[in-house]
Amino acid sequence: MSLFLPKLTCKKDIDEVIKGVAEKVVVLRFGRDDDSVCLQLDEILSKTSHDLSNMASIYIVDVDKAPIYTRYFDISYIPSTVFFFNGQHMKVDYGSPDHTKFVGSFKTKQDFMDLIEVIYRGAMRGKMIVQSPIDPQNIPKYDLLYHGI
Amino acid sequence: MGAHYCAICRQTTFNGKGHIFGKTHQSRLRVVLLKFTEKVKEARRTLKKPQVEKFDCTQHKQTFWCYCCGCEIEKNVTDGNMTVLYGGLLEHMATPEHRKKTHKFWWDNKADPKFRDKVIVTEEETERFKAEVAKALESFVEKEDEYIKQHAEHIRAQEKHRQEVLQSLLERDAEPELLNGPNGTDSSVENSVSSQFMCQGSDQQAGSSFVDSMGEMPWTPAGHGLTFIGYQDSSNSGNVHTGAVPPWLQDDPVEGTSRTAAEPEIGPSIHEFLKHKEQEKLRKLPPNRVGANFDHSSHTDANWLPSFGRVWNSGRRWQSRHQFRQEEGQKHRQKRRREHGTEGSKKIKTTDQLNT
Repeated sequence: MSLFLPKLTCKKDIDEVIKGVAEKVVVLRFGRDDDSVCLQLDEILSKTSHDLSNMASIYIVDVDKAPIYTRYFDISYIPSTVFFFNGQHMKVDYGSPDHTKFVGSFKTKQDFMDLIEVIYRGAMRGKMIVQSPIDPQNIPKYDLLYHGI
Repeated sequence: MGAHYCAICRQTTFNGKGHIFGKTHQSRLRVVLLKFTEKVKEARRTLKKPQVEKFDCTQHKQTFWCYCCGCEIEKNVTDGNMTVLYGGLLEHMATPEHRKKTHKFWWDNKADPKFRDKVIVTEEETERFKAEVAKALESFVEKEDEYIKQHAEHIRAQEKHRQEVLQSLLERDAEPELLNGPNGTDSSVENSVSSQFMCQGSDQQAGSSFVDSMGEMPWTPAGHGLTFIGYQDSSNSGNVHTGAVPPWLQDDPVEGTSRTAAEPEIGPSIHEFLKHKEQEKLRKLPPNRVGANFDHSSHTDANWLPSFGRVWNSGRRWQSRHQFRQEEGQKHRQKRRREHGTEGSKKIKTTDQLNT
């Protein structure tokens, strides 16, 4: 858990943030505060949040407190990071099977900052899906379990 | 004499062969030969070690212009799947016609014979090249096969892993069912029930049992190092992948109770709307006009204008300013005295009247 990043605890708060933040990328980290990978990711998020403050607003969401969002985004692995811009969900092609969220932690702070910049620029030009600038070797690998096999 | 078109200078000359010995022609010739020999040098480098690559339709269909023959030749040799880089060039240079034409070109244009051999490829060189190409092609094909095999391995491993995961999850759910069973009297019934469960280990059963056993399941990370928090069953409500309405655009069921008095208004209020209209008007004005970034809410005090107006005076400005400041000072002092309630107030009032 990061002491410096704002937390959202109920669906209403999350709704307000998504609909309210204008002209900036909204970053929602879904996870638990006691998980080790989540802690790593939180550290990166909090250290970069000031530098990215003109482009992005970063929030922490506990995955047990908003089950409707957990179900909607199909979050099976934590941490998962979801990006929005002006109330619109932004998809990013990382080279992994799921484009709707980023699963796992980032390897370096620079990776995260590059990703936010690419999302911001893409959104400003009207793109709803962008290509991730992160080296595919640095993207955490996970297996996607398909429903109903 | 007669008209003679020189392909190198791209000009028609009427002086016959004298043109060729001239400065311009020779300099152009040198440039042309330089460019040509550069390309051939690249190709020669691959003579001893031919490069074979996967066919890339954007790059490998390039052609080049052979100055000696006056025609366009394909640079690489390809069969659709693989290409031998510079194969076409080398093949062309080896043909006897090209040789003849090269000699003719050199003689006609009086070029430096030193460079002539660079542009021709001898027969032994071609033989060597062909042998090397065969070898290179073989090794390339081998590499491709290996690569494909690796991919197949990877896919197989993933499939296997998925199967294992499913199997173990099914077993886990079958176990608690079996444990609940022993309370029943008939063991045969129990067996049939358990076998039923095992048989029905298809999607339906798996789906519902996942939902039951969800929650705090610190499962072995199928994603290397990531915590798995259980399978999210969103079959009744939608999913981001199925394109359902996102939760932030859905109304809360809780909200309804607090809003029974006023109807939920959508859109901005009148005040905001009017403000927006004003802003729209402003946006049309040029952005670098004076006062564009004026902060209307900033506070200004009375001293912002330099109004020490002596209207009918002549003389320097600082004099009037000086006088103004003096009077200001006196006024302040008199005000203070008045506040303290001194007795000479009447006198001060008269002097005040005289001065202002």
